[in-house]
Amino acid sequence: MAGLTKNMQLPKSVLDMKFMKKTRERIEKELENTQDHGSLYSNIITNEMRSASGNFISESSFIFCETMLDGRLSFKGMNPEIERLMELENGDKTEECSGEMVKDVSDDILAKKMEKFNKKRPNPNPVSELKNTKRKK
Amino acid sequence: MKVSVGDVVLPGDFSEEIAAVGEKGKVILGPGLRKEVDGIYITKAGTLKKRAPNTFWVDNYQKRYIPARGENVIGIVVQKAGDIFRVDVGGSCTASLSYLSFEGATKKNRPKVVNGDVVYAKMLVASKDMEPEIVCVDSHGKKGRLGVLEDGFVFKCSLNLIRKILNPECPLLNSLKNEWPFELAAGMNGRIWIKANTMRETIALGNAILGSEYLSNDEIKSMCTNIASILAGHIS
Repeated sequence: MAGLTKNMQLPKSVLDMKFMKKTRERIEKELENTQDHGSLYSNIITNEMRSASGNFISESSFIFCETMLDGRLSFKGMNPEIERLMELENGDKTEECSGEMVKDVSDDILAKKMEKFNKKRPNPNPVSELKNTKRKK
Repeated sequence: MKVSVGDVVLPGDFSEEIAAVGEKGKVILGPGLRKEVDGIYITKAGTLKKRAPNTFWVDNYQKRYIPARGENVIGIVVQKAGDIFRVDVGGSCTASLSYLSFEGATKKNRPKVVNGDVVYAKMLVASKDMEPEIVCVDSHGKKGRLGVLEDGFVFKCSLNLIRKILNPECPLLNSLKNEWPFELAAGMNGRIWIKANTMRETIALGNAILGSEYLSNDEIKSMCTNIASILAGHIS
Protein backbone atom coordinates (compact mmCIF):
# COMPACT_ATOMS: atom_id res chain seq x y z
CA MET A 1 0.00 0.00 0.00
CA ALA A 2 2.77 2.35 0.99
CA GLY A 3 4.60 1.63 -2.26
CA LEU A 4 1.53 2.45 -4.30
CA THR A 5 0.94 5.79 -2.61
CA LYS A 6 4.59 6.72 -3.04
CA ASN A 7 4.54 6.16 -6.78
CA MET A 8 1.20 7.86 -7.31
CA GLN A 9 1.26 11.54 -8.10
CA LEU A 10 -1.44 14.06 -7.51
CA PRO A 11 -2.96 15.53 -10.65
CA LYS A 12 -1.81 18.98 -11.60
CA SER A 13 -5.25 20.47 -11.25
CA VAL A 14 -5.34 19.45 -7.61
CA LEU A 15 -1.84 20.75 -6.92
CA ASP A 16 -2.78 24.10 -8.37
CA MET A 17 -5.43 24.60 -5.72
CA LYS A 18 -4.69 27.16 -3.04
CA PHE A 19 -4.62 24.87 -0.04
CA MET A 20 -2.15 22.48 -1.73
CA LYS A 21 0.67 25.01 -1.66
CA LYS A 22 2.76 23.17 0.93
CA THR A 23 2.40 19.81 -0.79
CA ARG A 24 3.39 21.39 -4.10
CA GLU A 25 6.57 22.78 -2.57
CA ARG A 26 7.40 19.48 -0.97
CA ILE A 27 7.04 17.58 -4.23
CA GLU A 28 9.25 20.08 -6.04
CA LYS A 29 11.89 19.72 -3.34
CA GLU A 30 11.82 15.93 -3.60
CA LEU A 31 12.27 16.09 -7.35
CA GLU A 32 15.27 18.37 -6.97
CA ASN A 33 16.83 16.07 -4.42
CA THR A 34 16.59 12.99 -6.60
CA GLN A 35 18.01 14.79 -9.60
CA ASP A 36 20.99 16.09 -7.62
CA HIS A 37 21.73 12.67 -6.23
CA GLY A 38 23.53 11.34 -9.28
CA SER A 39 25.73 14.39 -9.77
CA LEU A 40 26.56 14.67 -6.09
CA TYR A 41 28.72 11.53 -6.01
CA SER A 42 29.79 11.48 -9.65
CA ASN A 43 33.37 12.40 -8.81
CA ILE A 44 33.65 9.64 -6.20
CA ILE A 45 31.92 6.80 -8.01
CA THR A 46 34.25 5.54 -10.68
CA ASN A 47 33.35 3.45 -13.68
CA GLU A 48 35.20 0.55 -12.12
CA MET A 49 32.93 0.72 -9.12
CA ARG A 50 29.92 0.62 -11.39
CA SER A 51 31.24 -2.33 -13.37
CA ALA A 52 32.53 -4.25 -10.34
CA SER A 53 30.62 -7.50 -10.28
CA GLY A 54 29.29 -9.03 -7.09
CA ASN A 55 30.66 -12.47 -7.84
CA PHE A 56 33.01 -12.48 -4.87
CA ILE A 57 31.69 -13.19 -1.41
CA SER A 58 34.07 -12.39 1.41
CA GLU A 59 33.98 -14.69 4.39
CA SER A 60 36.09 -13.91 7.42
CA SER A 61 35.74 -17.27 9.10
CA PHE A 62 37.30 -20.65 8.46
CA ILE A 63 34.16 -22.47 9.49
CA PHE A 64 32.61 -21.83 6.10
CA CYS A 65 35.74 -22.96 4.24
CA GLU A 66 36.70 -26.17 5.97
CA THR A 67 34.48 -29.00 7.09
CA MET A 68 34.60 -29.14 10.83
CA LEU A 69 32.95 -31.01 13.63
CA ASP A 70 30.99 -29.14 16.22
CA GLY A 71 33.37 -27.99 18.93
CA ARG A 72 31.51 -29.42 21.89
CA LEU A 73 32.00 -33.15 22.31
CA SER A 74 31.53 -35.75 25.00
CA PHE A 75 32.57 -39.39 25.03
CA LYS A 76 31.77 -42.47 27.10
CA GLY A 77 28.94 -40.91 29.03
CA MET A 78 30.74 -37.90 30.50
CA ASN A 79 27.90 -35.55 29.56
CA PRO A 80 24.80 -37.47 28.43
CA GLU A 81 23.09 -34.30 27.23
CA ILE A 82 25.85 -33.52 24.72
CA GLU A 83 26.10 -37.16 23.67
CA ARG A 84 22.40 -37.25 22.87
CA LEU A 85 22.85 -34.20 20.61
CA MET A 86 25.88 -35.83 18.97
CA GLU A 87 23.92 -39.03 18.35
CA LEU A 88 21.09 -37.08 16.76
CA GLU A 89 23.54 -35.39 14.42
CA ASN A 90 25.41 -38.58 13.57
CA GLY A 91 22.16 -40.46 13.11
CA ASP A 92 21.11 -38.01 10.42
CA LYS A 93 24.42 -38.46 8.63
CA THR A 94 24.39 -42.26 8.61
CA GLU A 95 20.85 -42.37 7.34
CA GLU A 96 21.75 -40.03 4.53
CA CYS A 97 24.73 -42.21 3.58
CA SER A 98 22.99 -45.60 3.47
CA GLY A 99 19.62 -44.37 2.24
CA GLU A 100 18.01 -47.69 3.18
CA MET A 101 17.31 -49.40 6.43
CA VAL A 102 18.81 -52.77 7.26
CA LYS A 103 16.31 -55.44 6.28
CA ASP A 104 15.35 -58.36 8.46
CA VAL A 105 13.30 -59.96 5.65
CA SER A 106 14.60 -59.83 2.10
CA ASP A 107 12.47 -58.49 -0.75
CA ASP A 108 12.09 -61.94 -2.38
CA ILE A 109 10.73 -63.62 0.72
CA LEU A 110 8.37 -60.72 1.31
CA ALA A 111 7.05 -60.94 -2.26
CA LYS A 112 6.37 -64.72 -1.91
CA LYS A 113 4.62 -64.26 1.40
CA MET A 114 2.49 -61.48 0.02
CA GLU A 115 1.46 -63.64 -2.96
CA LYS A 116 0.15 -66.33 -0.63
CA PHE A 117 -1.60 -63.70 1.38
CA ASN A 118 -3.36 -62.28 -1.67
CA LYS A 119 -4.48 -65.74 -2.87
CA LYS A 120 -6.21 -66.38 0.43
CA ARG A 121 -8.20 -63.19 0.08
CA PRO A 122 -8.98 -62.62 -3.59
CA ASN A 123 -11.12 -59.59 -2.90
CA PRO A 124 -9.39 -57.90 0.00
CA ASN A 125 -11.64 -54.92 0.35
CA PRO A 126 -15.12 -55.41 -1.11
CA VAL A 127 -16.81 -52.88 1.13
CA SER A 128 -14.74 -49.94 -0.02
CA GLU A 129 -15.25 -50.90 -3.66
CA LEU A 130 -18.98 -50.84 -3.14
CA LYS A 131 -18.71 -47.40 -1.62
CA ASN A 132 -16.67 -46.17 -4.54
CA THR A 133 -19.20 -47.38 -7.07
CA LYS A 134 -21.95 -45.68 -5.16
CA ARG A 135 -20.10 -42.43 -5.17
CA LYS A 136 -19.51 -42.64 -8.87
CA LYS A 137 -23.23 -42.94 -9.48
CA MET B 1 54.02 -12.63 -7.47
CA LYS B 2 51.44 -14.73 -9.24
CA VAL B 3 50.37 -17.72 -7.17
CA SER B 4 48.08 -20.69 -7.60
CA VAL B 5 46.27 -23.10 -5.31
CA GLY B 6 48.58 -25.10 -3.04
CA ASP B 7 51.42 -22.58 -3.14
CA VAL B 8 53.00 -20.91 -0.16
CA VAL B 9 51.77 -17.33 -0.42
CA LEU B 10 52.77 -14.00 1.06
CA PRO B 11 50.80 -10.79 1.55
CA GLY B 12 50.73 -8.85 -1.71
CA ASP B 13 50.72 -11.89 -3.96
CA PHE B 14 47.85 -12.13 -6.40
CA SER B 15 45.94 -14.98 -7.94
CA GLU B 16 44.67 -14.86 -11.49
CA GLU B 17 43.24 -18.31 -11.06
CA ILE B 18 40.64 -17.11 -8.56
CA ALA B 19 39.85 -14.02 -10.62
CA ALA B 20 39.21 -16.26 -13.64
CA VAL B 21 36.81 -18.45 -11.66
CA GLY B 22 35.10 -15.29 -10.41
CA GLU B 23 34.27 -14.20 -13.93
CA LYS B 24 32.23 -17.34 -14.48
CA GLY B 25 30.36 -17.61 -11.21
CA LYS B 26 30.18 -16.93 -7.53
CA VAL B 27 33.38 -17.35 -5.52
CA ILE B 28 33.75 -17.46 -1.76
CA LEU B 29 36.89 -15.71 -0.54
CA GLY B 30 37.85 -16.97 2.86
CA PRO B 31 40.29 -15.50 5.35
CA GLY B 32 43.48 -14.11 3.87
CA LEU B 33 42.07 -13.10 0.51
CA ARG B 34 40.88 -9.68 -0.53
CA LYS B 35 39.25 -8.43 -3.67
CA GLU B 36 40.72 -5.25 -5.06
CA VAL B 37 39.63 -3.46 -8.20
CA ASP B 38 42.29 -5.14 -10.33
CA GLY B 39 42.36 -8.62 -8.89
CA ILE B 40 42.41 -10.92 -5.90
CA TYR B 41 45.22 -10.25 -3.42
CA ILE B 42 46.64 -12.31 -0.58
CA THR B 43 46.69 -10.65 2.84
CA LYS B 44 48.17 -13.42 5.01
CA ALA B 45 51.24 -15.63 4.86
CA GLY B 46 50.36 -19.30 4.52
CA THR B 47 49.24 -21.82 1.93
CA LEU B 48 46.51 -21.06 -0.55
CA LYS B 49 43.79 -23.67 -0.34
CA LYS B 50 40.72 -24.48 -2.37
CA ARG B 51 37.63 -26.50 -1.71
CA ALA B 52 35.48 -27.55 -4.62
CA PRO B 53 33.70 -25.96 -6.29
CA ASN B 54 34.73 -22.38 -5.55
CA THR B 55 35.90 -21.66 -2.04
CA PHE B 56 39.39 -20.25 -1.57
CA TRP B 57 41.25 -19.34 1.58
CA VAL B 58 44.72 -18.98 3.04
CA ASP B 59 45.63 -21.50 5.71
CA ASN B 60 48.06 -19.74 8.01
CA TYR B 61 49.61 -20.19 11.41
CA GLN B 62 47.96 -17.80 13.82
CA LYS B 63 47.50 -17.38 17.53
CA ARG B 64 45.71 -14.02 17.58
CA TYR B 65 41.96 -14.43 17.39
CA ILE B 66 39.99 -12.10 15.15
CA PRO B 67 36.27 -12.41 15.86
CA ALA B 68 34.19 -13.70 12.97
CA ARG B 69 30.46 -14.21 12.79
CA GLY B 70 29.10 -17.68 13.45
CA GLU B 71 32.11 -19.10 15.23
CA ASN B 72 31.86 -20.92 18.54
CA VAL B 73 34.25 -19.51 21.09
CA ILE B 74 35.26 -20.04 24.70
CA GLY B 75 35.20 -16.88 26.76
CA ILE B 76 35.83 -15.91 30.35
CA VAL B 77 33.40 -13.54 32.04
CA VAL B 78 35.42 -10.59 33.31
CA GLN B 79 32.81 -8.02 34.23
CA LYS B 80 29.13 -7.62 34.93
CA ALA B 81 27.89 -4.34 33.46
CA GLY B 82 24.19 -3.83 34.00
CA ASP B 83 22.39 -5.86 31.36
CA ILE B 84 25.46 -7.44 29.83
CA PHE B 85 28.45 -9.49 30.77
CA ARG B 86 31.84 -8.55 29.36
CA VAL B 87 33.53 -11.68 28.15
CA ASP B 88 37.19 -12.04 27.25
CA VAL B 89 37.39 -14.09 24.05
CA GLY B 90 40.99 -13.30 23.17
CA GLY B 91 40.14 -10.66 20.59
CA SER B 92 41.23 -7.03 20.54
CA CYS B 93 38.41 -6.11 22.90
CA THR B 94 36.00 -7.94 25.13
CA ALA B 95 32.77 -9.32 23.73
CA SER B 96 29.38 -8.48 25.18
CA LEU B 97 26.99 -11.19 26.27
CA SER B 98 23.47 -10.16 27.19
CA TYR B 99 22.04 -11.84 30.25
CA LEU B 100 18.89 -12.50 28.21
CA SER B 101 20.75 -14.65 25.72
CA PHE B 102 20.75 -17.71 27.92
CA GLU B 103 18.19 -20.48 27.72
CA GLY B 104 15.16 -19.72 29.87
CA ALA B 105 16.46 -16.34 30.99
CA THR B 106 13.99 -13.52 31.53
CA LYS B 107 14.31 -10.08 33.02
CA LYS B 108 13.25 -11.46 36.38
CA ASN B 109 15.00 -14.81 36.10
CA ARG B 110 18.64 -13.92 35.55
CA PRO B 111 21.14 -16.63 34.70
CA LYS B 112 23.59 -17.51 37.44
CA VAL B 113 26.80 -16.33 35.83
CA VAL B 114 29.59 -14.77 37.87
CA ASN B 115 32.96 -13.25 37.07
CA GLY B 116 35.49 -15.87 36.12
CA ASP B 117 32.97 -18.29 34.65
CA VAL B 118 33.90 -19.95 31.39
CA VAL B 119 31.22 -19.80 28.70
CA TYR B 120 30.95 -21.56 25.36
CA ALA B 121 29.17 -19.11 23.07
CA LYS B 122 28.48 -18.27 19.45
CA MET B 123 29.62 -15.05 17.78
CA LEU B 124 26.49 -13.20 16.79
CA VAL B 125 27.94 -9.87 15.71
CA ALA B 126 31.58 -9.44 14.75
CA SER B 127 32.57 -6.36 12.86
CA LYS B 128 35.82 -4.48 12.45
CA ASP B 129 34.65 -1.37 14.20
CA MET B 130 32.41 -2.66 16.93
CA GLU B 131 32.56 -4.74 20.03
CA PRO B 132 31.65 -8.32 19.19
CA GLU B 133 28.48 -9.78 20.63
CA ILE B 134 28.11 -13.39 21.68
CA VAL B 135 25.08 -15.47 22.62
CA CYS B 136 24.56 -18.73 24.47
CA VAL B 137 21.36 -19.77 22.66
CA ASP B 138 20.53 -20.71 19.09
CA SER B 139 17.86 -19.04 16.97
CA HIS B 140 15.16 -21.21 18.55
CA GLY B 141 16.09 -20.05 22.05
CA LYS B 142 17.54 -23.47 22.93
CA LYS B 143 20.95 -23.74 24.50
CA GLY B 144 22.06 -26.74 22.46
CA ARG B 145 25.75 -27.15 23.12
CA LEU B 146 26.34 -23.62 24.32
CA GLY B 147 26.33 -22.27 27.84
CA VAL B 148 28.43 -22.07 30.97
CA LEU B 149 31.17 -24.69 31.21
CA GLU B 150 31.44 -26.00 34.73
CA ASP B 151 34.57 -27.53 36.28
CA GLY B 152 37.14 -28.72 33.78
CA PHE B 153 40.35 -27.15 32.62
CA VAL B 154 40.99 -24.45 30.00
CA PHE B 155 44.18 -24.04 28.01
CA LYS B 156 45.23 -22.01 25.02
CA CYS B 157 46.65 -23.19 21.72
CA SER B 158 47.07 -21.94 18.18
CA LEU B 159 44.02 -21.43 15.99
CA ASN B 160 45.37 -24.04 13.59
CA LEU B 161 45.30 -26.76 16.20
CA ILE B 162 41.60 -26.17 16.83
CA ARG B 163 40.89 -26.59 13.15
CA LYS B 164 43.11 -29.63 13.00
CA ILE B 165 41.46 -31.56 15.81
CA LEU B 166 37.96 -30.64 14.66
CA ASN B 167 38.66 -31.87 11.15
CA PRO B 168 36.63 -35.06 10.61
CA GLU B 169 39.71 -36.76 9.16
CA CYS B 170 41.88 -36.11 12.21
CA PRO B 171 42.37 -39.40 14.12
CA LEU B 172 42.99 -37.76 17.51
CA LEU B 173 39.45 -37.73 18.87
CA ASN B 174 38.58 -41.03 17.21
CA SER B 175 41.46 -42.80 18.89
CA LEU B 176 40.84 -41.20 22.27
CA LYS B 177 37.08 -41.51 22.46
CA ASN B 178 37.05 -45.18 23.41
CA GLU B 179 39.82 -44.94 25.98
CA TRP B 180 38.30 -43.03 28.90
CA PRO B 181 35.29 -40.79 29.49
CA PHE B 182 35.92 -37.14 28.76
CA GLU B 183 34.25 -33.99 27.57
CA LEU B 184 35.73 -31.34 25.37
CA ALA B 185 34.83 -27.91 24.05
CA ALA B 186 37.01 -26.32 21.42
CA GLY B 187 36.57 -22.63 20.71
CA MET B 188 37.65 -21.20 17.39
CA ASN B 189 39.47 -18.52 19.41
CA GLY B 190 42.23 -20.95 20.33
CA ARG B 191 40.96 -22.11 23.69
CA ILE B 192 40.12 -25.64 24.65
CA TRP B 193 38.15 -26.71 27.68
CA ILE B 194 38.47 -30.30 28.81
CA LYS B 195 36.91 -32.29 31.58
CA ALA B 196 37.61 -35.86 32.67
CA ASN B 197 36.96 -37.87 35.79
CA THR B 198 40.45 -37.72 37.26
CA MET B 199 43.34 -35.30 37.11
CA ARG B 200 45.54 -37.90 35.41
CA GLU B 201 43.02 -38.32 32.64
CA THR B 202 42.63 -34.57 32.20
CA ILE B 203 46.39 -34.08 31.93
CA ALA B 204 46.68 -36.98 29.50
CA LEU B 205 43.95 -35.52 27.30
CA GLY B 206 45.50 -32.04 27.35
CA ASN B 207 48.91 -33.42 26.48
CA ALA B 208 47.46 -35.52 23.68
CA ILE B 209 45.78 -32.49 22.15
CA LEU B 210 48.78 -30.19 22.47
CA GLY B 211 51.16 -32.90 21.30
CA SER B 212 49.23 -33.54 18.10
CA GLU B 213 49.89 -30.10 16.63
CA TYR B 214 52.89 -31.02 14.50
CA LEU B 215 52.28 -34.77 14.10
CA SER B 216 51.04 -36.69 11.09
CA ASN B 217 47.92 -38.83 11.31
CA ASP B 218 49.87 -42.06 11.88
CA GLU B 219 52.01 -40.45 14.54
CA ILE B 220 48.90 -39.16 16.30
CA LYS B 221 47.47 -42.67 16.38
CA SER B 222 50.60 -44.18 17.90
CA MET B 223 50.85 -41.32 20.41
CA CYS B 224 47.26 -41.92 21.51
CA THR B 225 47.79 -45.66 22.04
CA ASN B 226 50.96 -44.81 23.93
CA ILE B 227 49.18 -42.36 26.22
CA ALA B 228 46.29 -44.75 26.74
CA SER B 229 48.59 -47.58 27.77
CA ILE B 230 50.49 -45.35 30.18
CA LEU B 231 47.21 -44.23 31.71
CA ALA B 232 45.95 -47.79 31.99
CA GLY B 233 49.07 -48.63 33.99
CA HIS B 234 50.69 -51.01 31.54
CA ILE B 235 53.75 -48.82 31.38
CA SER B 236 54.79 -46.66 34.30
